[in-house]
Amino acid sequence: MMLPEFAGFFENAAQQRLAFPYCRRCANFHWYPMPRCPQCRSRDIIWRSIEGRGELVSFSHVMHAFDKSRSDALPYVVALVKFADAPGVNLITNIDAPAMDTLQVGDSVVPVFRTDDGEQPMVEFRLA
Amino acid sequence: MLGRHIAIVGVGETRPVRRSDKGLRGLVVEAVEAALADAGLEPGDIDGVVSDGLIMPSTVPRDWVAAQFGFGRSYDGGMSYGGAATACSPIHAQLAISSGMAKTLVYYFGVDWGTRASGPYGFHDLYAGKMAFEKPYGFTGQPQYFALWARRYMHEYGLTERDLATIAVTQRESALLNPLSQATQPLTYEDYFASRMISSPLRVPDCCLLTDGACAFVMTSLERARDLAKPPVRVLGAGFGSEPISGDDVFTQPAGMMRIPGARIATGKALQQAGITLADIDFAEVYDCFTISCLLQLEDIGFCKRGEGAAFIREKGIGLGGKLPVNTHGGLLSHSYLLGVEHVIEAVRQLRGEAGRGQVAGAEIGLVGGLSNPDYGVMILGRDVR
Repeated sequence: MMLPEFAGFFENAAQQRLAFPYCRRCANFHWYPMPRCPQCRSRDIIWRSIEGRGELVSFSHVMHAFDKSRSDALPYVVALVKFADAPGVNLITNIDAPAMDTLQVGDSVVPVFRTDDGEQPMVEFRLA
Repeated sequence: MLGRHIAIVGVGETRPVRRSDKGLRGLVVEAVEAALADAGLEPGDIDGVVSDGLIMPSTVPRDWVAAQFGFGRSYDGGMSYGGAATACSPIHAQLAISSGMAKTLVYYFGVDWGTRASGPYGFHDLYAGKMAFEKPYGFTGQPQYFALWARRYMHEYGLTERDLATIAVTQRESALLNPLSQATQPLTYEDYFASRMISSPLRVPDCCLLTDGACAFVMTSLERARDLAKPPVRVLGAGFGSEPISGDDVFTQPAGMMRIPGARIATGKALQQAGITLADIDFAEVYDCFTISCLLQLEDIGFCKRGEGAAFIREKGIGLGGKLPVNTHGGLLSHSYLLGVEHVIEAVRQLRGEAGRGQVAGAEIGLVGGLSNPDYGVMILGRDVR
């Protein structure tokens, strides 16, 4: 279910850029993408790229294959990341963290762009 | 007041099981039959049929149920979905009966998420944002959503794994006193810490069961209720609350997260209708899809302040002998996972004094809270004291 307002994220990620919807009327970011700004309801929304460094809001080590196709990939880390230069955006991602026990809420992370042939670009993170 | 002239007069349920071969439609029919029998009513007495507004219409539609029983429908409705829909369902009875649209309504709900291949997870495929931006990262299941909240809550408020264990252990004790509970083995703290991690910090006992089953209940005016088979259980108040945020965003985007604002709104409306305060509540059946969500709702309903849920549970006690018994049948964690419709059945049994070994002594007023984030429903039920 790919909606037209989602496309900008993937176009930017394919260029190794992290970008989020930004309302030009009220000067706020929002996430997920939607046709009208959730703060001021304007439709004047652009994609604005950010530096990329983020902070771990929360994370979880997933030990159960909710999706059977991932049973070989266990455990993996899902995380929620926020950005100082895009307040209001929380991004769900994976963290490539070899020593998983060391992760802490508040850790600094940087993006790792992954583009596999024929697949949507992915934005994962690693500890900064 | 409007809300105080409605009563629940019959309840019915199937035995909750991990897998049933009866089919969801068959289970719903069995639950509705049982609710009518409990009330001492015939199908011809029913003129309103109510369900949730999303899950039942796509699995066991109201017209189909009406056709099985021959219910003539002069009222038909469903608002919100899942747990919130069930807990606020007396609103339909209040509106339909006070406006003269119907006299006696049946509410039903059930799921076959124990047998269905995608289980509860497939439900979230309805959300476009989740599909595009979460599923590719393996963020696909409710345990993961609440795991992120639990981890963050631990960071901000010092919650410990043992605090979560207390909820699971306490509810298991109650479940063992209920003859229908799916969980039949005791759970100690040691068992908890030895159990499998699902999505850290949440373990198997932090997560609700998976169930095939259905429940139904019958609502009518208090005046009619007093002539029926069982002592009426009054609906003292019912409320619905939400906020304008979509299901895509509600688990990850709100500032601060870990809050269920609909709970406070819905509770406020129900309490106002009932003309009581939370101090008058003798027990609560709270939507415990996870240990952490149960704790957060105790805060957002208003039993304690933000960040004080764990201390409240430790100090007041939520077991059958505690200051506020919570999920007296074992809840979604240890009784069954029918998205809280079983909580209504349990609350009615408590108020009739039919809860057997799980009876809360002196139970006169109970609260049922149902969560379907961002929606929330509350009903406050009371013994018919004349």
